[in-house]
Amino acid sequence: MESFYQLPFNFVQCPNLKLKKPSWIRKPSNTTVLFGLLVSYFLVTAGVIYDIIVEPPSVGSTTDEYGHHKPVAFMPWRINGQYIMEGLAAAFMFTLGGLGFILLDQTNKPNMPRLNRVLMILCSFIFILVAYGATKIFIRIKMPSYLS
Amino acid sequence: MLLTYYFWIKAVKSGSIMWSASCALAYFYMVSSWGGYVFLINLIPLHVLALMFTGHFSHRVYVAYSTVYILGTILSMQIPFVGFQPVQSSEHMLAFGTFGLCQLFSFIEYVKSKLTKTQFDTLFSFALVTVGFAAAGAGVVLWASGKIAPWTGRFYALLDPSYAKNHIPIIASVSEHQPTAWSSFFFDFELLVFMFPVGIYYCFKELTDANIFIIMYGMTSIYFAGVMVRLMLVLAPVMCVLSGIGISSVLTTYMRNLDVNQLKKSVTSTAQSSTRARRNDDSSSYPRKNEIAFGVVCMMTFFLMTYVFHCTWVTSEAYSSPSIVLSARSGDGSRYIFDDFREAYWWLRYNTDEDAKVMSWWDYGYQITAMANRTILVDNNTWNNTHISRVGQAMSSTEDKAYEIMRELDVDYVLVIFGGLIGYSSDDINKFLWMVRIGGSTEKGAHIKESDYFTPQGEFRVDKSGSPTLLNCLMYKLSYYRFGETYTEQDKPPGYDRTRSVEIGNKNFELEKLEEAYTTEHWLVRI
Repeated sequence: MESFYQLPFNFVQCPNLKLKKPSWIRKPSNTTVLFGLLVSYFLVTAGVIYDIIVEPPSVGSTTDEYGHHKPVAFMPWRINGQYIMEGLAAAFMFTLGGLGFILLDQTNKPNMPRLNRVLMILCSFIFILVAYGATKIFIRIKMPSYLS
Repeated sequence: MLLTYYFWIKAVKSGSIMWSASCALAYFYMVSSWGGYVFLINLIPLHVLALMFTGHFSHRVYVAYSTVYILGTILSMQIPFVGFQPVQSSEHMLAFGTFGLCQLFSFIEYVKSKLTKTQFDTLFSFALVTVGFAAAGAGVVLWASGKIAPWTGRFYALLDPSYAKNHIPIIASVSEHQPTAWSSFFFDFELLVFMFPVGIYYCFKELTDANIFIIMYGMTSIYFAGVMVRLMLVLAPVMCVLSGIGISSVLTTYMRNLDVNQLKKSVTSTAQSSTRARRNDDSSSYPRKNEIAFGVVCMMTFFLMTYVFHCTWVTSEAYSSPSIVLSARSGDGSRYIFDDFREAYWWLRYNTDEDAKVMSWWDYGYQITAMANRTILVDNNTWNNTHISRVGQAMSSTEDKAYEIMRELDVDYVLVIFGGLIGYSSDDINKFLWMVRIGGSTEKGAHIKESDYFTPQGEFRVDKSGSPTLLNCLMYKLSYYRFGETYTEQDKPPGYDRTRSVEIGNKNFELEKLEEAYTTEHWLVRI
């Protein structure tokens, strides 16, 4: 085995290098990975892929009876169509709602100062209710016949 | 798919061959039913790799994966459509590579336990050099000589969504293949889009083998559902699973905080107007634990109830209507039914020769075959891109050129869908641009250019300012024959197309090579 192993070194001389794995490459912690996944969730539910392929405008525009151009935030009536801004806004609401629940879970830690806990609970309730309400309003604007 | 995943988790947890064999059988069932099995045979090796990276690889995973891979691959090769793909195509190479890696990993662990450290190091470096080189060399040779097929079009389009748009218009034209907008996510899932990250968070809190699998399944399916609307159905089960984990964890945590006796006592004490408020032990750092827990539970109940209302509404409005019979609400609210499709298919069935051939766009192929019982040229399952392209060329050319193509294909009847009389928006004129793109994508249709069918300003119009190529092509003529004399709406000129909301540009023409055989009551189907 030794002679086989030595075979390439009859032709090639090994350079005098000192290679070490750089110390800053570490296995990422749970929180880092969770944060990364939340960011990718935000991007995917915002319809970023839809934006790249179909290239809709950032906001739509309609002309009213006086000839003025008015911006339209939500592409009406199409379930699988969006403008870029409305996609980002909706995805922000989704992630906000998720973060609210995650925060709600964090409030149950045993040793926490009272102020922190109260603020966290307040924040999480606000996040959840605002996100849910806003999303319902968005879909109602987009599709007036929703839930009727 | 879910059965395969269930058995896989059971196999990974227990390490028993019985569960692994059941997983392989369920995988065989999946392979025989849907091409989506490629997702399974890539997710399971990805899970094994993730377990290796996070240090969770154990003998149980080794037994489970080896059994599943061997039995599953042999079973899947029994399906004629799959054949030898598991050893030849790139889509299956990850599974193969992971299998090899599993064996190497376990062998190294075994040898490590038997040898001393120095002996092991020498053997390890020797093996790495020889085996590594040999494997890499073999891989490069196989890939360069083309023996290992690259990723096929429809799966490559998932990794690079712009590929289909630029190269294969037939894949890009299917409306189910469009990328997903935010409203599709919300429409199909409502509450679950909020609970999905929560479920992932709870899985991260306790990283077991099974939790790692669910996290990977969730993240890969949400990416794929974002690329293609149709793959929402792959996302749906894992969305439910993760949201279930999230909801049940939130409720468990807060039900523990809830102390019903405490609440009852506080209610009776306020009734007796007692000023002594009862507090919890850790009231200093957690004020009103009970009330907040009560609030959270009420809120979750409210969300779940509205979720039920949402789901029943969506199912009744969007997922319950047959697409072959259309309905609309008239001014006084009553429902009006358009049964034109079936009317046309029955006419074909009883008024044409048994061996008559019908040319239509491929969307209607299955319907014509099933209901009219006539031979068609192209249907939803046609893989022959050139054939579909030929039909597209016939529809986009002038009547004379189209007649030559139709003689060549031995066509007796041409069927088009026209929505201009009633305002139906999924008719063939609206799909026409896709026919032009697909028709122009092969060699014989190289003279068909999409830009010829637009106005000089780049708009697709059927009125007087429309492009002459469009106003004289076969599809236009067949759709608008005799439409120029028809009144569709009050105080609009004859020949007013209600779908495009314009008066058509080319009226009062005669068909030279074809004649009208049948038009349904609302002009939806014209033969």
